[in-house]
Amino acid sequence: MKPWLTLAVYLVAVLAIAACAGHDWATPSELLRAAAGDDSMRSRLLVEWRMPRVLAAALVGALLGIGGAVFQGVFRNPLAEPYLLGSAGGAGLGAAIALLVPFGVPQWLLLPLLAFAGAWGATATVVVVSRIAGAVDAAGLLLAGVAIAAILSAMRSFLMLALSDETVNLQVVLSWTLGGIQTPTWLGLGMLLAVAAGCLALTLALARGLDLLGLGETMATSFGLDVRHFIALAVLAGSVVVAAAVAYGGLVAFVGLASPHIARWLVGPLHRPLLPASALVGAIVVTLADALARSALPPAEIPLGLITAVAGGPFFIVLLAQRLRS
Amino acid sequence: MTLLSARNIGVVRGHTTLLADVSVDFGASEAVAVIGPNGSGKSTLLKVLAGIEAPSSGEVRLNDHVPARLSGAARAKLIGYLPQQFQPHWDLSVSELVRLGAERTGPAAESEIERAIAEFELTPFRRRRWSTLSGGERARTLLATVLSIDPPLLLADEPAASLDIRHRIAVSRALARRGKVKLSIVVMHDLELAFQLFDRIVLMNEGRIVADGPTSEVVHDERLDDVFGVRFARVQRDGAACLQVASVKQDSRSVN
Repeated sequence: MKPWLTLAVYLVAVLAIAACAGHDWATPSELLRAAAGDDSMRSRLLVEWRMPRVLAAALVGALLGIGGAVFQGVFRNPLAEPYLLGSAGGAGLGAAIALLVPFGVPQWLLLPLLAFAGAWGATATVVVVSRIAGAVDAAGLLLAGVAIAAILSAMRSFLMLALSDETVNLQVVLSWTLGGIQTPTWLGLGMLLAVAAGCLALTLALARGLDLLGLGETMATSFGLDVRHFIALAVLAGSVVVAAAVAYGGLVAFVGLASPHIARWLVGPLHRPLLPASALVGAIVVTLADALARSALPPAEIPLGLITAVAGGPFFIVLLAQRLRS
Repeated sequence: MTLLSARNIGVVRGHTTLLADVSVDFGASEAVAVIGPNGSGKSTLLKVLAGIEAPSSGEVRLNDHVPARLSGAARAKLIGYLPQQFQPHWDLSVSELVRLGAERTGPAAESEIERAIAEFELTPFRRRRWSTLSGGERARTLLATVLSIDPPLLLADEPAASLDIRHRIAVSRALARRGKVKLSIVVMHDLELAFQLFDRIVLMNEGRIVADGPTSEVVHDERLDDVFGVRFARVQRDGAACLQVASVKQDSRSVN
C-alpha cells in the first residue's frame, strides 16, 4: 500500500506545483479560486489554458510510462524504450506525414492513425532485424533500434525540407520533433484521458503474459504462452500506447526508459502492479518537466524533449554502465 | 498403462538431423533417466515430448491428446517442464516465481502457493529475490515453481547439472521419487546417479534410442561403453550393479 500512497501524494503535489508554475506564477489561493468557478480573466486563463495543459502533460507521461514498461517487458530488456527502439521515431514520421502531405482526410483522424502505423512499423522492423541478425541481447536490439531511428529521423527531415511551404506550418512539425505538450480543450483532455485509460486496460490484459515472457521463451511456452503470437500482440499494443503519447506530446526521450525502472524499485517487477506504477511515475516526471519547460526561461518555452533528454540521458548511461559491468 | 507415447519422431533443423525415427512409450508412473553423450538428441526429445518443439515427422500422444496441438493452458496443466538453464530476466522473489508457476493453469489459492514453498523448504526465503539465492536455493525454487500444480507428466532437462554434489543428489532424488506415483522423465548427465536412482534408462546416441529398459538390464549393456567411448567396470554396490569408468577408449571419439 505504501508505494501507491507515496506515488499518489507525489502526483497530487506535482500537479499542484505545475498548475501554479508558468512565466506568470499563480498562488495556491488563486488556483483554488479559479477551480471554484471564479469568473475573472486570470481565473479563466488558469482553467482554460493552464490546468488542461498540466493534466495533458500528466497523461502523456502516463502513456510513456506504460509504453516503456510494455517494451521493456516484451524485449526483456531494461534498456528498451520507445524512443531508443525507433517506435517513437516511427510515430513521429507518421505524424509528420499527416501534417505535411495533403491527403484530404481530417487531421484528427489521420494523425493518430499514421502515428500508430509508424510506431508499429518501426518496432516490428527492429524486432525482425534483430532476430535476423541473431542479436537478442540488450546491445544488439538497441543498435538495431538506433539504426532504424536514424533512418526515420532522416526521412522526417527530408519530408520537412521537401514538403513544407507557406501553407504548412513547419513550426508545428518541429515542435513535434522536439517534444512538447499541446494544450487541449477540456473535451480533448477527456479524449486523452479515455485513450490513456484504454491503453492501461489493454496493457494490463497483457501483464501475465509479460511476466511469463520474463521467465525466458522456453519456460513461457511450457507455462502455456504462445510466445510468437504474444510478442506480436504486445508490440502492437505497445505501438498504440506510443502513438497516443507521440500524437499528444511529440518525441519525448527517456521517460519511457526511466519510469519503469523507478516503478520497479517501488512495486517490484511483476507487470500487474508495474504498469500502473510506471504510468504514475511517468505522469509525475512529465508534469514536472513540462512545468519547468513553461517557467524556466519566461517568456520563452523550452521544448519538453530537451529537458527530458538532458535529465534522462545520464540515467541511461548509468544503467548501461551497470548492465555492461554485470 | 501407457501415458505418453512417441511414434517415429524425426526432428530436422536445416541440414542437421537432431532426432531420427524415435519411438518410445512411457507408463503413468515411472522414473526414467535419459542418458547419452552431448548432442545425442536428449534435450530435443524432451522438448518434443513437452510439446515445446514440433517434430518434423511422427507424433507424440499424451493420453488421447497431441501435446503440441493442445491449448497453452491445457498443455501446462498436463506437462511440467524443467529447463536445462533457467535465468529469469527480472529479479523476482521466490513467492512471485512460485505464484507464476501455480497460476499457469488459472487462479491459485494462497494456500497452494504456500504448500509448494513449504514442500521445497523455501519458507524462510519466500521474500528473497532470485539474484540473492544460492545455486541450491535456485534449484529448489525452480522445482517449487514447476511442481506447484503437480502435473501427471514431468520432463526435466539436467536440472541438477550445475549444482554441487549434495544438491545434485537431493534434486535428482526428488525427481526420481516422483516417479513412484507420476511419470518423471529426466535427462541425466551424472551416470552414477542415473543408475542409482532411476528405474528405467533410455540411452540415446546420434538422434536415436540405442537401448531402453530396466536399469538392472541396461547397466550390463555393452552399447553403453560404445556410445560414451569409455570402458565401464560394473561393480556391485548395495546389491545392485553400478558403473565405474575403467578406461577411456582410444578411438575416433577422442578429443584432440
